[in-house]
Amino acid sequence: MTTKTIKPWLFLMPALIIYLTVIFIPALYTMYLSLFSWNGVSSSKVFVGLNNYSDLFMHDTVFAKALKNNLVWMIGSLTLMVGSGLALALLLNKKLKGRIIFRGVFYFPYVLSGIVVATGWAWLYNPTQGFVNKLLTMLGLEHWTQAWLADPKTALYAVFIAAMWQGIGQPMVLFLAGLQTIPQDPYEAALIDGAKSHQSFWYITLPLLRETFLIVIATTLIGSMKVYDIIYGMTGGGPAESTQVLSTWMVSQTFKFANIGTGSAIAAVLVLICMIVIIPYVYYTTKKSHV
Amino acid sequence: MGEIRIHPAINVLRYAILIILAAIFLIPVLFIAFTALKSKGDLMTSPFYALPNPFHWENFSKAWNQGNMGLYMKNTLIICLVKVPLGILIEALAAYSLTRMVFKWNNLLFAFFLVGMMIPMQATLVPLNMFLNKTHLVSTYPGIFLIYIGFGIPFGILILRGFFRTIPKEIDESAVIDGCGEMGKFLRIILPLSMPAVATLVIFDFMATWNEFLLAQIFITKDTMRTITTGLMAFKGEHSADYTLMNAGVLISILPSLIVYLLFQKYFVSGLAGSVKG
Repeated sequence: MTTKTIKPWLFLMPALIIYLTVIFIPALYTMYLSLFSWNGVSSSKVFVGLNNYSDLFMHDTVFAKALKNNLVWMIGSLTLMVGSGLALALLLNKKLKGRIIFRGVFYFPYVLSGIVVATGWAWLYNPTQGFVNKLLTMLGLEHWTQAWLADPKTALYAVFIAAMWQGIGQPMVLFLAGLQTIPQDPYEAALIDGAKSHQSFWYITLPLLRETFLIVIATTLIGSMKVYDIIYGMTGGGPAESTQVLSTWMVSQTFKFANIGTGSAIAAVLVLICMIVIIPYVYYTTKKSHV
Repeated sequence: MGEIRIHPAINVLRYAILIILAAIFLIPVLFIAFTALKSKGDLMTSPFYALPNPFHWENFSKAWNQGNMGLYMKNTLIICLVKVPLGILIEALAAYSLTRMVFKWNNLLFAFFLVGMMIPMQATLVPLNMFLNKTHLVSTYPGIFLIYIGFGIPFGILILRGFFRTIPKEIDESAVIDGCGEMGKFLRIILPLSMPAVATLVIFDFMATWNEFLLAQIFITKDTMRTITTGLMAFKGEHSADYTLMNAGVLISILPSLIVYLLFQKYFVSGLAGSVKG
């Protein structure tokens, strides 16, 4: 090997070694561990093939619940969060006094940690002294008040609203950036042709935001599969496991119940779902960069 | 010609909607601040919308002391101050190689790094724990730096590679004529020209590291090494009934993020926009 062929590797080496050590090899090893029954302490792992997976899908009702919750979270994020993000971006995409302040207000929760948001919102939902129930009482809607986070029927949605408060700024900012790349000319041409504003929106704005939609949808899908901090911080997966998602259930199985094999199988399912979502996206991004 | 005119009534409506929405976004923070500034007694007796009277500022010093907030902030800051610059240097070296060196594996390797963005942290925790145990790096700074840097690599390379590609190749060529080696080109030309991207990445990376929870929860087992997020969880566990202190703690831990955000707001927006164009 000449120095010319070695040099690129030297520059890549630190990143590559750390990436392999911290992410890639551990992820592969997790797949391997998912084929064993192991408590993490004993020296002998028992090979069980795909039994951990079949147990998850056939017998583990919490796993089914977690999978369903991830799906609910994903649909909620794709519709409500992306939709409101786009709506806010459209509202703010005009010359407007105080535009930067409004943008700042809607975006700032995004820079907070999930744990801070979880702690703050758990207090807002407090059954006796929290803001939500006090406000409802003040408005004469006392019969609506309830223990939002302690009731399995409402807990997931209550956490989701907190997550929306935190996360809406991200799609908003991405859409704003996308909107700013759209030139004025097509709108003027459409106006001259007598197009209504909703027609301009459907036939000019949306198609030209295609790239932005791709990014927003990809990050939203991955984000809703990875969601962990805010759920852990607000409910810890409860009450009665009603807010478990794959990531929290994986951590419980692994670090609380010491079922390493089962936890690893959940992680593998999580990886698989993320791959299905993102491989087309990575393919598209790298292919585009050849041009 | 120029701007398309908007009917004044529509503009008023737009403002009304925005102001209502902004209020909805700010009310949770106000309620938390009101709670943090009331005494325990006032919290029970005064209406929830009432201003704290008098302001109980001592709640903040109590939360600061009882919650060990100073220690946890110091710990988190140490991680940030090593992880962010070192991580970005490593990512920039790799991005330089991927964009500037003649090399047939460029795109394949880039895709390989991107794969890391779709691997959830959960899928690495057990093997990483085994690795740290074997190397006696659990609850040590070198172990924590290694893991935090590792998880920043895919995103960092994505952003830096995207920016490096926009720097014209002619600039490199003139540098080669002037006798710069690869390292000289990287340090003296590409890196200084990439300061906007680097600045954005510094801020994003700082926030992500400051806010990180799962890795800290699993890999930092020593109480004295807790970060601000795991520290807040512990504080919440110990003071679950003292809402005034808990909310003061929440506000204290928000403060650094808020300051960084207010100082560098434009980077958040332009940085995200940059990653869109990627």
